[in-house]
Amino acid sequence: MSIRSLVESEYAAQTEAFAGSEILRSLRSGKAPAKAYDDFIARLCRTHLNSPQILAFLYSLAPPRVADPLKHNMLEELGLDKAGVAHPELLLRLARAAGFDEQERATLKAQSQSELRRMCTDPILFGTFREFGLTVLLEVTCFEWMLSRLGKPIGDLLAKHRGLSQADLLWFTHHSEVDQRHAEEGLDAVVEYATYYEFEETDFRLITEIVFRENVFLKRYFAKSEVSRPALMLSL
Amino acid sequence: MRIDGITIFCLRIPFVEAFRHSTSARSFSDSIVVRVKAEDGTVGYGEGLARSYVTGETVESLVAHIVNRLWPAVARSDYSEISRNPDPLALLSSINESLPETSDGVIAWHGARTAIEIALIDCLLRSEGLSLGRILPAKRQLVIYSGVITTGSMEAAVRHARYFKLFGLKYLKIKIDTTNPVERVAAIRSAVGSDISLRVDANGAFDARTAGKVLSALNDFGVDAAEQPIGRGHPEELAELRVSSPIPIVADESLVTLADGRALVDARACDYFNLRLSKCGGIFRTLQMARLAGSAGLRVQLGSHVGETAILSAAGRHVAAHLENVDFVEGSYGSLLLAEDISRDSVVFGHGGVAPLLRGPGLGINVREEVLRNYAQNIISLSTPARPAHFRKGEVRNVSTNQGSHQVAGKTPASQARAGSIVSGKHSKTFPA
Repeated sequence: MSIRSLVESEYAAQTEAFAGSEILRSLRSGKAPAKAYDDFIARLCRTHLNSPQILAFLYSLAPPRVADPLKHNMLEELGLDKAGVAHPELLLRLARAAGFDEQERATLKAQSQSELRRMCTDPILFGTFREFGLTVLLEVTCFEWMLSRLGKPIGDLLAKHRGLSQADLLWFTHHSEVDQRHAEEGLDAVVEYATYYEFEETDFRLITEIVFRENVFLKRYFAKSEVSRPALMLSL
Repeated sequence: MRIDGITIFCLRIPFVEAFRHSTSARSFSDSIVVRVKAEDGTVGYGEGLARSYVTGETVESLVAHIVNRLWPAVARSDYSEISRNPDPLALLSSINESLPETSDGVIAWHGARTAIEIALIDCLLRSEGLSLGRILPAKRQLVIYSGVITTGSMEAAVRHARYFKLFGLKYLKIKIDTTNPVERVAAIRSAVGSDISLRVDANGAFDARTAGKVLSALNDFGVDAAEQPIGRGHPEELAELRVSSPIPIVADESLVTLADGRALVDARACDYFNLRLSKCGGIFRTLQMARLAGSAGLRVQLGSHVGETAILSAAGRHVAAHLENVDFVEGSYGSLLLAEDISRDSVVFGHGGVAPLLRGPGLGINVREEVLRNYAQNIISLSTPARPAHFRKGEVRNVSTNQGSHQVAGKTPASQARAGSIVSGKHSKTFPA
């Protein structure tokens, strides 16, 4: 199996498990309590508010051949491209529309920042940025892959069951559109990253397994730990 | 300094993977975390684990022992003089002496003692703004941890070994049982190369004869130590095996109490003591056993229990840094194994298994109480009935649980527990007295 196929199959498995998860189905059904929608919005904001910084990190590690798309992705997030819409602002607009007051939105920003801080203070298991960068790249591009497929349905469920307007849900519609391109570029970036940094296939596979040992979407959006590959998980 | 109350959290934190060895399999952490609150408002955290096949404790009996025996003793004690004592080690000794010693029905109530002892140490040190490192001065600036490979399929074991190689770990311990132990070690040695130190742990899976054969065969693969090849029994049996074994022997399940340690030393039954805080009864007793090992010329492995949270990991980090004669250290697996750990900052080691010293007050970690509550199956609160001056409006006196409060005038927690009046979790439970 090529690296591209391997990675794409992981993204598909992660996305499929997320789409079929009990918690997402509950939100889709409209039977979840209002708090469940708000908790989801809060965690979504915390996950993505600092995406520009994460992309800046990836840009700094990017192999020359994929540096431009990553830079463009980062500029898009910052609202410094032609569209001129900063994605963190879209998330905060979503939070405001969902009833998060100024203090609560400030808390979301602080929590997102603390995740970044944690990323910097937690010990790194890998020996170099080469491996650590790959774990970040895999997770970021997996999110883009998922959002290109589920961004619109998730936006629709929030419109239907949480009463949010299309303007409030622009972050989802925007991602469902631009991430189709980002998803393809992301796969290219992973393949090029693996080639440029001369990963051995065994190591690449092991790192991929480590990144996707849990469902990354359930973990980030719902703080749920769901093992995706019980027989092959990291064990200590 | 008096302790106004304690809260017991019976956790159930999922693992990201099931862990297996020859005597047990588990897929979640069932740690017992204890929070003590001093009269000045300072809070400290401790942790213990119930392992019936090691100390004889179960989760229920461990909690009951805290409620019935340890908490009443803590509530009666005044730790003011202890915390003011200029000899830091006196703190550990005095806390140990304040806790009653019984072993009715078990090998030792060490999980329960550990949870209380560490919580008291954390609390009293925090109250003074001191780090545990002040009491246990570090002999090294970094602690280097081993990886542990669980039993299971050969394919999974080899894969795990490759993970650890990728993480730069220098030391691996392989759990073995009666299923192809030699082939297992051979495959892992082949996967990781010759630069990584390998040890094996049988958790008492073999009879003496089989153990002898297996250890002889394993010697071809550069195994540095073999832990508990046979079950806990007479030290003489382990001593006989040691004489014939080409691999140094580590005593684990055979070593729970200080008396066990003396018997092992007297019988010349092992080369290493495997010390685990929760198994040995806390920091003070672990240090006593380490001292015994040192005086007998033995080396030490500082092990851990599967599922320990950041509390025991932090305590273990301090002890590992302090001990002179420690060769191997385990634990600090945190969120590598747990779906979520309970400390704000990670205690997980980094590349090479390397972890820094913890320098903050007490244990040096900040426990996130919201995480404790999120994963607690039961929460039991006990407060001192004798000091109403510290009773605050809205605070439950004596006993409360996460099923609601139970204010029982004139009854001690112990008497309530004996009477079976503590409601635990979703079901009413009677704790064995």
